[in-house]
Amino acid sequence: MTALAMQPWGNYAVALAASVECLRVSPWTRRATTPETLRLGVEASPESACLPFKACTGHFIKAAMEGVEYGVMVNSRGTCRLRYYREAHQKILDERGWKLRIFGLGYDGIKPPLIRHFDPDPIPFLQCCARAQQKTLAVDALEREVWRVRAIEANRGDATRAMEACLADLDRARTVREIRACARTFAPRFAAVPTDSRRVPLRVGLVGEATLLRDRFLNHNLEEQLGGLGVEVSNFFLLGDEMRNIFRIGFFSRNSRWTLRRIARPYLDALVGGHALESVAHTLRCAREGFDGIVHVAPIGCMPEVSVRPILQRIARDTGMPTLELSFDEHTSSVGLTTRLEAFTDVLRQRRERRA
Amino acid sequence: MWNIGTRWLRGRTGGAAGFAASSQEPIGLPLALYAYLHPGLWQAFFEGLGCPVVLSGSTDAAMLERVGLVSETEHCLPAKLLDAHMDALIGRVGRVFVPRILSLKRGYIACPKFGALPDAARARFGDRLAVLSVELDENREPLRTSLVRFARALGASGPAARTASERALAAWADACADDEKETAGAGRRYLLAGHPYLVNEPWFSEPVVRGLTRLGARVERMRFDRAPAPDGPLRWDTSAIMRDTLADLDARRYAGVIQLSSFGCGCDSIAERHFREAARERGLPYMLLRLDEHAGEAGMRTRLEAFVDTIGSRLP
Repeated sequence: MTALAMQPWGNYAVALAASVECLRVSPWTRRATTPETLRLGVEASPESACLPFKACTGHFIKAAMEGVEYGVMVNSRGTCRLRYYREAHQKILDERGWKLRIFGLGYDGIKPPLIRHFDPDPIPFLQCCARAQQKTLAVDALEREVWRVRAIEANRGDATRAMEACLADLDRARTVREIRACARTFAPRFAAVPTDSRRVPLRVGLVGEATLLRDRFLNHNLEEQLGGLGVEVSNFFLLGDEMRNIFRIGFFSRNSRWTLRRIARPYLDALVGGHALESVAHTLRCAREGFDGIVHVAPIGCMPEVSVRPILQRIARDTGMPTLELSFDEHTSSVGLTTRLEAFTDVLRQRRERRA
Repeated sequence: MWNIGTRWLRGRTGGAAGFAASSQEPIGLPLALYAYLHPGLWQAFFEGLGCPVVLSGSTDAAMLERVGLVSETEHCLPAKLLDAHMDALIGRVGRVFVPRILSLKRGYIACPKFGALPDAARARFGDRLAVLSVELDENREPLRTSLVRFARALGASGPAARTASERALAAWADACADDEKETAGAGRRYLLAGHPYLVNEPWFSEPVVRGLTRLGARVERMRFDRAPAPDGPLRWDTSAIMRDTLADLDARRYAGVIQLSSFGCGCDSIAERHFREAARERGLPYMLLRLDEHAGEAGMRTRLEAFVDTIGSRLP
């Protein structure tokens, strides 16, 4: 069976795998970048490209090594470098003699090239879209449960284990009804995880560049590290919300681009590109909703995110909410990151005590 | 009603209110980054409106030292220099001008860093400097219209706004025409390529020009007064112009291309491959010089010598 490589998008890999069933291809995807794919990517990519580019290059090279013929990735029409990434990946693969053809998703007429190429029957295609959408929403719900429980779990790792079990079940679910039934089991499963009710977790928002927010390897397991330090994180990249924004559904919903733009306006009156507007808006909203802190995550040299950093610093100064800026590249050390996270949570705890 | 609505939607001339009341108060123009995209234009524009202009001065070693103190560490050097130039204006003026540039050529987009410039400037210097801004987006309206709209928002009457805009555009055209684009001499000609804020910023380009002149070469700076081809591979305006210029170069006229790029430039990290390919297709040797605030001249001089010597031994 023909295989189709897809970018590593964290737990959403389950939903993405479901989305291509109707194309009569087997999905080839990973939940996170691996050390090997990153090494391959760093070797093949231009030195000044950003970390997501290098990771993605490596991912497709690895797929090509394993005999995968096709790949699919997000490409945008915005101002960020992502616009050129599909062509750049393709060029690197071609130059190295790998026979993998990468399709870009979105903004290319009504039918994306991927659909044009595989030409699926309309009814299975729509069913498949519905399943993928349901799985995406289920993963969104699962993520929220994990963030909440991980901060108060009595035995380290219980929440993560529960998440893995849920994901395995979700992967097996085939119909929309099964997926919904599976999603309904998440809450009871997490309720069964033993927790320490005396703990009052810190609330920290994770904002920034999407790939780094989702890829556990690239961000050195940021969510788990923070969870282990007693922090209930809110990762503001949720694919369900993102899809709604892409398809312009829910104009007035909480995380629609229109709403976020309105929130960010006192500090930022432009879209900038990438997820820069989202970073500013979510930071402001977190300050308003009484979060203890914000962690801003970006690859080193990320054009949109770096341009709004002075604005995030200003918001931190104006609202008094501490912000930790983390930049990642292939040389980032996990130990250094842990030290910074520990110091940051100490500051947040002391701040909370002082306020009390 | 519709006009008022569209004006409200389009009229993002942030910080312009209150200008008329204090139009005699000088306005600071930082001589970095955006200043090189429209040389001469903003000074003529504000002077045309009867507002005195204070320039931040040229980039020097002290300014570069200031970069490390006031700017975001991960920016490219030209963007950092803008912060340093604004910092140098504190105490000399009460307000500065920083435009929001979304597109310089129709059908193209600007580097994303230009989109957040005024907001970032307000975030960093808002306590000490008022930031005046206008949105320039050729995809929505031509520069001339933006200028008139901006002048009107600043309180100028219709005819005064139009006169100031025309004068500003004429000053820009003059600055481009007057610009000394080529050094004298009889040696081989080299094209100095790069974004306008590198090629036309003396701090970056002068050492290269000096080095090449010393080696007996002639240097021509790249010009940006052309429209990019509509179907090129790059959508960033200045990058597309650079690529098109390289693709159209006459190999008999030039001995080689020297590209200036700043460390951390996101556009160049993608576009470099296209520049290199375009030069190769024309049969022209191409060298990339990456600059940052730590660049010493010795290393650069060695590379220039090697480049020029190699071409000298290759060509008859």
